[in-house]
Amino acid sequence: MSNVIIETNKLTKTFGKKNVVDNVDLKVRQGEIYGFLGPNGAGKTTTIRMLLGLARPTKGSIHIFGKDIQQEKYSILKKVGSLVEYPSYYGHLNAYENLEAVRILLDAPKSKIDEVLSIVRLTKEAKRPVRGFSLGMKQRLGIATALLGNPELLILDEPTNGLDPSGIIEIRELIKSMPKEHGITIIISSHLLSEIDQMATQVGIISQGQMIFQDSLSKLRERSKSKIKLTVNRAESAWKTLLSHGYTTELMQKNLFINNDSDDQIAKIIKLLVQNDFSIYRAEEEKKSLEEIFLDLIGLEGGL
Amino acid sequence: MITRIMASEFLKIRRKMILFLIFLGPFGVIGLQAFNFGLRYDWLTKVHKDDLWGGLIGAVSMLSIPTLLMGVTIITSMIANIEHQTNAWKQLLALPISKKKVFTGKILLTVLLLFVSCLLLAVGTIVLGLLLKFGINIPLLYLIKMCFFPFLASMPLVALQIWLAITMKNQAVPLTIGIVGAILSLYSTNFPDWVPWKWPLLINDWGKPIYSVLVGLVTGLLLFFISVIDFNRKDVK
Ligand SMILES: Nc1ncnc2c1ncn2[C@@H]1O[C@H](COP(=O)(O)OP(=O)(O)OP(=O)(O)O)[C@@H](O)[C@H]1O
Ligand SMILES: [Mg+2]
Repeated sequence: MSNVIIETNKLTKTFGKKNVVDNVDLKVRQGEIYGFLGPNGAGKTTTIRMLLGLARPTKGSIHIFGKDIQQEKYSILKKVGSLVEYPSYYGHLNAYENLEAVRILLDAPKSKIDEVLSIVRLTKEAKRPVRGFSLGMKQRLGIATALLGNPELLILDEPTNGLDPSGIIEIRELIKSMPKEHGITIIISSHLLSEIDQMATQVGIISQGQMIFQDSLSKLRERSKSKIKLTVNRAESAWKTLLSHGYTTELMQKNLFINNDSDDQIAKIIKLLVQNDFSIYRAEEEKKSLEEIFLDLIGLEGGL
Repeated sequence: MITRIMASEFLKIRRKMILFLIFLGPFGVIGLQAFNFGLRYDWLTKVHKDDLWGGLIGAVSMLSIPTLLMGVTIITSMIANIEHQTNAWKQLLALPISKKKVFTGKILLTVLLLFVSCLLLAVGTIVLGLLLKFGINIPLLYLIKMCFFPFLASMPLVALQIWLAITMKNQAVPLTIGIVGAILSLYSTNFPDWVPWKWPLLINDWGKPIYSVLVGLVTGLLLFFISVIDFNRKDVK
């Protein structure tokens, strides 16, 4: 098992009486791209702020690189790059000066600026005031800033928020290339599974402050229990016939849905229907998409 | 570390109106007095004939004190706004630097800039006096007192304005408080001595300007201290 980079224990943040983050145990291992998912208001940003020492946990602990954030905040933050919510920048300065303002504080070599500018492909725009940048460019500048200190861990909060499809793809490719090329661990939040399912290796799903799923993306896929959909001529009477023989099926829009548990059972059901003179037009497998599983998960917990 | 913070702060005020205002304040005051003395040269030189320089310095400081207080309000708000505008606090404070040092950097920047303003005021006064042919017998000590004492005595107001401007995203509140304070201070001659808005005028029951300076410095330092702790304790917005 590889090294644990982030580990939280019963992490909780309370605003007023509400636990906006509620006993969250987050675990991110080295080299992972960890997708941190949840609907709007789930508590992603609040969790991330606590990871960065911007907000104090009400309860619980955070260990990053095996160190407690309360005690060794600065030695942790030295190796962390971050982008929280919408990008921060100094609009009156150009991209180069924006990076310089942070570089001075990090005491990084000057050459690093050109390097990160070229990683996010802003070299040509470096001398333009950032005020005039498009949202995608500002977002890329934010990522460049996060990379200035040679981070071992990147914490990105909705880096694709508000971007158009090509901007999203661009950021996605950029992020995907990093663990490979630079050995960085990345945690990236989003409210859309589809946005991260092409880059994340692990997912954590948070809803109403609680972590409701945390495992590999393939484990999430396994959750997609498929069903067999039968289209028959007299659906309702077929449903009754099956019921009288002890088979429970679902009747929806004149289709019968059977849990895809065993091939044997499916065979028996079809045989029974044929013997009872029903015409079977179609028998097909219906699989849920990843997005549907995600919505099911947060729907269950959130009662949306 | 603090030198790197300051280098970064000075980079961030590039191309901002802040530097322009730091020059505009003293030059505005000197300009107005040049106009005043130019227009009424004969009469004013007669009124102050025993102490031409003293008359000029007094006239300058009458204008410079309210200008200083307005300047404190505007400069602190502009400095805080650099970070507020795109909420750069969350980027700045997620860097491996202590929050206390970041806040101290903002205080230092404000104090340094205002110090430059006071220095320019002193230089401007000398130039104006020489142009008005008041001779070379310049009362330097008095000049320095009148240019820097009000600034030192207004440290509590500097601290208060920085604190408000940085803590509140909406700058309407610190601006209003600062402007009301500046106006209040114009009429504070008869206020009791404990009112901080009176201290920049250097008037007190003992008739010793240095008392106003000392109490201002001590209170200012105390307020800086409290505000650093408060900033450090609060979650970043
Ligand atoms: N400073 C605060 N004071 C009070 N409530 C807050 C504060 N910050 C966040 N909240 C509340 O906490 C909840 C979680 O907010 P958070 O920003 O963490 O959600 P999120 O998962 O990042 O959502 P989004 O996808 O919209 O960014 C929200 O209901 C929000 O209103
Ligand atoms: Mg958020």
